[in-house]
Amino acid sequence: MNEAAFYFIAAGVCVFAVMAVTGRDIFHCALWLAMTLLSVAGIYFYLDAPFLGVIQILVYVGGIITLFVFAIKLTANIGYKSIRQTSKQWALALFITALLLCVLSRVFAAHPWAQTVLNVPAASIAQIGRSLMMNYAVPFEFMSVILLAAMVGAIVIGKDKR
Amino acid sequence: MIPLEYFTLLSAFLFCVGIYGALTRRNVIGILISIELILNAANINLVAFNKYLGTKDALGQIFSLFVIAIAAAASVVGLVLIIAIYRNAKTLFTDGLTLMKD
Repeated sequence: MNEAAFYFIAAGVCVFAVMAVTGRDIFHCALWLAMTLLSVAGIYFYLDAPFLGVIQILVYVGGIITLFVFAIKLTANIGYKSIRQTSKQWALALFITALLLCVLSRVFAAHPWAQTVLNVPAASIAQIGRSLMMNYAVPFEFMSVILLAAMVGAIVIGKDKR
Repeated sequence: MIPLEYFTLLSAFLFCVGIYGALTRRNVIGILISIELILNAANINLVAFNKYLGTKDALGQIFSLFVIAIAAAASVVGLVLIIAIYRNAKTLFTDGLTLMKD
């Protein structure tokens, strides 16, 4: 893939992320978040990680965005459009985050990164699955316990007490 | 070939946008959206380092798989908590949720 594709996708990520954070209508913000996550999946495809890109689209755009839309629709009778969505101290927050971005980019620009790309072949799905089930089997199992706990917790908390 | 710095800069920008959103949003769902952005910024870094610095057995990709799973669990619990809060307090704005203070 050529370099123009990266700049295109990266610009998409930046614009969509800003829209998702500054929009007034929270439902539109969820859709902008979906666009951001799709662009990040594009970055993964660009970085030779197609498995991760597909997982990103399946889990994030397919699952989490649907949950967001459900949560917004289940709670959305406050008249979102007319109400101010940002707190009064947004200027201070903008200053602090701009400062943070300056520091981070100075550090990244100053660090001597390895200029040569190692010629490692892209990991195949079989390779990822093998190391997931062999070298990283314990964290993998812990992950399933965490997901089970989240599922049970969601059911218990979400149940109507009355 | 795109240098590695560009990916770290993109991820830093995404991280800062997420921090800004988490700081300024009045709506709890908006804060959760910003947190998703922050987690994605971390993932971009992991995948880019995996590609450029060449870890063995694709460690960066596996790590970001774990991050995605944690993010899914976190947003499920977070959204259910939001629905529970809304059921009790009838608002989702952070300046209305002062239950711990009163």
